[in-house]
Amino acid sequence: MSEDVILEFQNVTKKFPGVTALKDVTFQIRRGEIHGICGENGAGKSTLMKILSGVYPWGSYEGQVLYNGQELKLENRSIRQASEEGIAIVYQELTLVPSITVGENIYLGREPVEKGVINWDKLYADTEQLLNKYHLDVHPQAIVKHLGVGKMQMTEIAKALSENAKILILDEPTSALAAAEIEQLMEILRGLKEHGVTCIYISHRLEEFFHIADTITVLRDGKMIISQPTQSLNLETLVRNMVGREMKERFPKGNRRPGEVILEVEDLHAMDPEDTNFEILKGVNFNLRKGEILGIAGLMGSGRTELVMTLFGEYGKVSQGKVKIEGHEVKIHNSRQAVINGISLVPEDRKRHGLVLMQSILRNISLANLDRFATFFSIDSLHELRESLSFAKSLAIKASDLNAPADSLSGGNQQKVVISKWLMSKPKVLIMDDPTRGIDVGTKFEIYKIMNDLSENGIAIIMISSDLEEVLGMSDRVMVMFEDHSVCTLDIAEATQERIMALATGLASN
Amino acid sequence: MSETTTNLPPTTSTAIADISKRLRANFQTYALVVAMIVIWILFFFLTDGSYLSAQNFSNLFRQMTVTALLSVGMVLVIVTGNIDLSVGRLAGFVSVVVAFLQAYTWNQILPGHQLLTTILSVIIGLAVGTLYGVFQGYIIAYLRVSAFIVTLGSMWILNGLILVRTAGKTIAANQPMFSHIAQGYLPAWGGWVLAGLIVILLFYMMFSSRQRKVKYGFELSPLYLDLIKTIFFSALIAGYVFYVNQYSGVQNPVLLLAVIAVIVSYVSNNTRFGRYAYAIGGNREAARLSGININGNIFKIFVLMGFLCGVSGVTLASYVGYGTIAAGTGYELDAIAACILGGTSTLGGVGTIFGAMIGSLIMASLTNGLQIMNVTAAWQYVLKGLVLILAVYADVYFKKNR
Repeated sequence: MSEDVILEFQNVTKKFPGVTALKDVTFQIRRGEIHGICGENGAGKSTLMKILSGVYPWGSYEGQVLYNGQELKLENRSIRQASEEGIAIVYQELTLVPSITVGENIYLGREPVEKGVINWDKLYADTEQLLNKYHLDVHPQAIVKHLGVGKMQMTEIAKALSENAKILILDEPTSALAAAEIEQLMEILRGLKEHGVTCIYISHRLEEFFHIADTITVLRDGKMIISQPTQSLNLETLVRNMVGREMKERFPKGNRRPGEVILEVEDLHAMDPEDTNFEILKGVNFNLRKGEILGIAGLMGSGRTELVMTLFGEYGKVSQGKVKIEGHEVKIHNSRQAVINGISLVPEDRKRHGLVLMQSILRNISLANLDRFATFFSIDSLHELRESLSFAKSLAIKASDLNAPADSLSGGNQQKVVISKWLMSKPKVLIMDDPTRGIDVGTKFEIYKIMNDLSENGIAIIMISSDLEEVLGMSDRVMVMFEDHSVCTLDIAEATQERIMALATGLASN
Repeated sequence: MSETTTNLPPTTSTAIADISKRLRANFQTYALVVAMIVIWILFFFLTDGSYLSAQNFSNLFRQMTVTALLSVGMVLVIVTGNIDLSVGRLAGFVSVVVAFLQAYTWNQILPGHQLLTTILSVIIGLAVGTLYGVFQGYIIAYLRVSAFIVTLGSMWILNGLILVRTAGKTIAANQPMFSHIAQGYLPAWGGWVLAGLIVILLFYMMFSSRQRKVKYGFELSPLYLDLIKTIFFSALIAGYVFYVNQYSGVQNPVLLLAVIAVIVSYVSNNTRFGRYAYAIGGNREAARLSGININGNIFKIFVLMGFLCGVSGVTLASYVGYGTIAAGTGYELDAIAACILGGTSTLGGVGTIFGAMIGSLIMASLTNGLQIMNVTAAWQYVLKGLVLILAVYADVYFKKNR
């Protein structure tokens, strides 16, 4: 116990009415290390972080949190106090102001002022110095909304570091990043370590821990299960400790038998609806069979999301090419026509595009399907309830009842609600844009099983994913996109991570 | 991993747990009803009982109808994340048009046909309101100009049109049959027949709903609970009819308001149009990606709002008996305040017609009580403003500390 400990949890217990979110959690974080924390949704990770940021102040939990050997006593919701102590958090959802520059964001609320006037030169000079010190490749005067997700995250990290953070907490930093950006982030974190900054790293992507973390702590059901050096662990033991049971495989074996072609896309080009000179799709070709899962791989910004949104009729304006469903050419101009033509979309961002969070689970499930229960004058609410219940049951949505608001559910269960909604519309083609983003291992497995069941029942699935292992584990074929066009479609037998990456980064062309 | 999986609907839980759950879920609504009763009791003592006399009780409900009709539509407008600042002036314009028809036009072209001309006045009044709603809704929904700007502009447009129509004068519209619309009462026996019909309907609905639940295989809540609920509402209606009959009987405009509020409330919960309105306000993007026609829905909302302005305008003309240049001024703010007081969220997605009706009643109760106490108009405004702010603060406070 002579190691240099910066942060120590001692028997921390946090109770909410009816639930104990943390039970007797005890572990240490050493100065300057990268400390990975993992656990399924609801394991207590966020509760722990909320204690560190002061959302749950000192006194609202039992046990002690020692920071540099002294008890950390944060006041209610005093995020400022936490950052003054040197604890900074980079949240999963980025918290930058999109319409102003990187420098302004970093010093927001702490602008260098002379006689009541902001000294812009100093602000940008300081920003530049800060970014250089940590090798962050962002331009200080760039407007944040024009940056990619990766650079936004760098800005967020720079902001935390500018406040002299001693401990930097990263909450699922890579869930929105593509492989290349993740590698960049890893580099940055290693750099921080050299500067003596301690990192707490929360992620659902377990492989990452083995690349970067010095120590890994696993939480399950509010309890600390293990806290060990990374070398002493491997992926299997980690997963077993997280889910509390053996998980032989990450991907369930399906019994899919792809049938005849249901969707054909020929040389599809599309324009940005807001700037009709700007092409967002530059030639996409593929076909999709009944009962097949087609994976779409590609980096962030390769046109994956643009492709599915265009197919769904909601973003791109088709300027050239054809879309055929069951051999007939269709022109889809909005989501309603897409649904009528048998195409459904589980969108990438479930909170923004998938759910009406304040409404009940029931109303979310039935929203896209009210035509089935309604005449002009009324909705048969019992019929609606019965059908929604049957979907909620078959997808095992964990909720006390369907009248609970959607935002009371965990991420995985929210995703199941979105899937239920679209299954109810009886699609022929189900598009799933990053369906397991930010979802824990156990629920991921359930969603994979659901996907298998659906395709076994003849539904054709298009799955976009940033997680290459997921693409390889679930798809029958993989289409790779690069710079807004489809490069090629690989049979799963000939697809490897290396091959896909080469195609997705333009290093290989076929 | 061993949490309870999806339960059956709340009917499976025990009766008492069910009731307490519902109480908590509708906490805000009950809090409002309680607040209203507290206000009544307070004024009852402050006015030595005259506040709750049959006569004043009857007037209280009558006084709220014109703005309450507007707030019925306003709830849906706000729920979709929009606002309508023109409703007061549109109702005013309709009232002036109708008064003009009553005072001049019919005398010239259809003298002596009182029934026909009254019906025509009503139809034209509703048409004017609806058409203006079509115009406004088209610009907001399809040309994508923000509702705030369009309806603010409309306020001025209608202001001008009212001045044109009245030429600055007051137009009398006090023909007996026309006045009967908003000043008349049902005879006592009529009130009782009506109450009887409603009670029969309530019981019929209760039993048919139970039958449908059986058909779909859901568990039934205990019969006595449903009975208690139905008997409670029946008693409330009978009590109301009994008390207003002590004065002049069921007030025509209150009856009109009740019918419209019930219909729109039903529409808001039980039709696609209503459900989509809440979904659009709750998350426009998610609604759009669910295949909902957003523009069409918002257009319909503003047409409905226009129609209700028509109803409100006709009622206003009949109620006050003339059309003036000031008709409807400021009613939009009363209507919005009633919605907010009744729990409608200015961010969209949340709000009920019932809440807005209670909100309207609270505003009317305050105004009426302060008038009886001879508080000057100036201080009435100050107090109403304070109550609105206080009520919303209380809501924020309770939500945070629940």
